[in-house]
Amino acid sequence: MDFDFAVITDHWRFLASGVGITLLLSVVSGLTSLVAGLVVALLRLYGPRPLRVAVVLYIDSMRAIPVLVVLVWSFFALPILTGLTMPPFVAALVGLTVHLAAYAAEIVRAGVESVRPGQTRAALALGMSRAQIVRRIILPQAIVRMLPAFGSLLSITIKDTAIASVIAVPELMRQSETLAGQSFQPIEVYTFAMLVYFFILFPVTRGVDIFYQRVAHLGRS
Amino acid sequence: MSFDWSVVWQHRDALIAGTATTILLTVATMAIAVPCGIIVAILRLYGWAPMRALATAYVEFFRNLPLILVVFWAFYVPPILTGLGLSPLATGLAALALNVTAYNAETFRAGINSIRRGQVEAAMVLGMNRVQALRRVVVPQAVRRILPVLASTWVSLFKDTSLVSVIAVTELAYVSMQIRAQSFRVLEMLTAMAAIYWLLGYPQAKLVDWIQRRFAITE
Repeated sequence: MDFDFAVITDHWRFLASGVGITLLLSVVSGLTSLVAGLVVALLRLYGPRPLRVAVVLYIDSMRAIPVLVVLVWSFFALPILTGLTMPPFVAALVGLTVHLAAYAAEIVRAGVESVRPGQTRAALALGMSRAQIVRRIILPQAIVRMLPAFGSLLSITIKDTAIASVIAVPELMRQSETLAGQSFQPIEVYTFAMLVYFFILFPVTRGVDIFYQRVAHLGRS
Repeated sequence: MSFDWSVVWQHRDALIAGTATTILLTVATMAIAVPCGIIVAILRLYGWAPMRALATAYVEFFRNLPLILVVFWAFYVPPILTGLGLSPLATGLAALALNVTAYNAETFRAGINSIRRGQVEAAMVLGMNRVQALRRVVVPQAVRRILPVLASTWVSLFKDTSLVSVIAVTELAYVSMQIRAQSFRVLEMLTAMAAIYWLLGYPQAKLVDWIQRRFAITE
């Protein structure tokens, strides 16, 4: 059995463009699902009752449906329903955001609820308004406590972008599939892709852990 | 726009078979990944140094890889290396088990580590040996912390079985997308697929919430 890793060096531009798309999609969908998740969490915590019920249904539905199904549905079925065709990258961004925002919302909710109600009552007694309490008392502690969960959500996001390969987003997974198929060297190509993903993801998970250990004391009460 | 939902009913047998395969994959993967996860966790906690390093490397590696890539790798690489070809179902099962074992190992390790050292020391002062202390003091408490995490891993696994569709395992996602390609009823079939996953997954997600409330630890 001999391996020829020249296939990697010969096509490094092709693979590097895939890494670029993977990183871009990860960062953009990470940000959009963070913002959307925050809105969803606020609606769930402070919204009017009918809206709260709808939001809970949305969150639990996303916990029940595979991200592959959400991606395929937003790429193939949504255009039929709306008449709007989206390029694969946009469809992947929409699908990933719809899916991950539910998880982000649960993280925000858990963080906010982890601050004991006694603190809110104490702040009310001191004459603070609701908005002041959220801004000055709850969020500073809650945000630090959310960090580890957001860190793992970020690595889940990066891993989920690989699933966008099924709707032909030219990210690393898709580029590897194409190259493996054309070169007939799946061992070299897929093993290389594994290493690249590992070296992207490992520093992210470790970095978040280390950062959290530094700031964990700020979240204690 | 006209939709023809009868296509879903026409293919009910295939969809039921696909759903059965999805459930089978979930159950079989967990049946492999729980005992294997316990073994890996024990190696990581109590094994001799090289074993510990190997177990740690395994867990970290698979927790930092997209599952879909592991599925592709398992499908293409081992048959070339060993000359042995497994069926897509067995390959998918192997890839899922490799992935979930790593997560479970971490769950078991964290659960055991969450019991303070002082408890084992106290048990040994009372005359128990290490195995007794583990069995009578650590494990009964650790189980309460492990179960909720295992339950949410279960739901993730149930959803992740859809990824083995890329190597033509005839589970729910693959079957639905095949019917879509043959019948051209794209919206109907994809919506039906999402609905079936939802019907199966929603009660599981709710059950996880219940288990988490039931076993919540207040310190």
